[in-house]
Amino acid sequence: MTWAAEQINAIEMKGVVKEGRRKTIGPLDLRIPQGYVVALVGPNGSGKSTIMNLMLQTIHPDAGEISWYGGPANQALPLDLKQRIGYVPENPALEENFLTAREAAEFRSHWYPTWNQQRFEALVSRFEIPCGERLNRMSKGERRKFEIAAVLAAGSKLLLLDEPSSGLDPFAWKDMIEQLRACLDQEDVTIVISTHVVEEVKRLADFIVLVHRGRIWGMAEKDALFSIWKEVWVRGAEPEELAEVPGVLSCVPDGPSVVRVLAKNAAGLETEERAGAIQILKSRSLELDEILELWIQGHPPEELIS
Amino acid sequence: MWIPIQINENSAEPLYHQIETQLRSLIVSGQIEEGTLLPSIREFAGSLNCSVITVRRVYQDLENEGLLRTKQGTGTFVASVGAGERDAYRRTVVQEAVEAAVDTGISVQYKEDELKNLFLQILKQKYGDAKSKGEFK
Repeated sequence: MTWAAEQINAIEMKGVVKEGRRKTIGPLDLRIPQGYVVALVGPNGSGKSTIMNLMLQTIHPDAGEISWYGGPANQALPLDLKQRIGYVPENPALEENFLTAREAAEFRSHWYPTWNQQRFEALVSRFEIPCGERLNRMSKGERRKFEIAAVLAAGSKLLLLDEPSSGLDPFAWKDMIEQLRACLDQEDVTIVISTHVVEEVKRLADFIVLVHRGRIWGMAEKDALFSIWKEVWVRGAEPEELAEVPGVLSCVPDGPSVVRVLAKNAAGLETEERAGAIQILKSRSLELDEILELWIQGHPPEELIS
Repeated sequence: MWIPIQINENSAEPLYHQIETQLRSLIVSGQIEEGTLLPSIREFAGSLNCSVITVRRVYQDLENEGLLRTKQGTGTFVASVGAGERDAYRRTVVQEAVEAAVDTGISVQYKEDELKNLFLQILKQKYGDAKSKGEFK
């Protein structure tokens, strides 16, 4: 995909560095296009939550520039913009621990002019959130559901969701996906979501960003990323011969006269099959974890969006 | 509205191409009628679990072919398909299927006569059946 000149970036990072006690995050270069869902994926401790905090300006970069919606870089986020950013933190804020869900919602509604109480009530009953309960007495999943309901009720145009589904049961999870999709129906809502749940990426994301060891390895369009690799079981040729076929990365014997081939797009193998040289027994697309593993090992997708 | 599109994740055919081919055939064959409002790009992407980039590409391609038209602010509609186009499309679909059948015959060393006889036999079976049920004139 080419980046249209008129594409507005909800967030743009240029050479952003954050020095930590344990490790340094960055330099980070990333553009979050307005109106899309961008998933941050990567191993634990890779820097995803730090990136979220930089996006929220709850921490400030030691070097580099961050700008929001084309505004000036490295300035305090204007209030009207802050009021349109919704955030589900990885760990809920301690300050709200002793409030009930209803009190916390009232507190938040004060800060969000676009707060929709009716929507909040609807989500509360849908998610079955015990509203009179103090937040620190709720189960992890219940508190998560409150956080999600509150962020959706705030009417934000930029949602930063840090592992929003951790602790949710499968029913609440499905509800969350549906609600987020409904939220996207409104014009120009942008979502940045960090997640380890493959299904979440599949159902929501437009773009996938790989974060690993404090660096951004690149951003790829989801469907392009999922279609790169094929694992193909082939009969009729030796591994050494198959290794010569364009696009083939590795060949492993897998049973009598069958070879399991890992190939970047299966076009080369299909040409061989049409020529009658080999027989393709079955093929499958790789799963996200396998694709990311290959990416980390030095086999990135070709169409990266910088 | 729900659109019956079946995605095969393991196919080597690119995703946008799978969606585009199936949507085109639904339109040209008349299964989706002229004037039908298609789902929004975001909605369609959601129901197919693909990115909006893919759906936008499909809509743009089919719009360029004249099968869809977009009204600013309202959405994407199915444009009118000419009778000529429909016939051409029917012919292409059938031709491709017959070619694939002949290729299969060749790959197992069927002779031309054998193939022809088999084809005529199947033809008689199918059309004969249909005639007796009164489905074809």
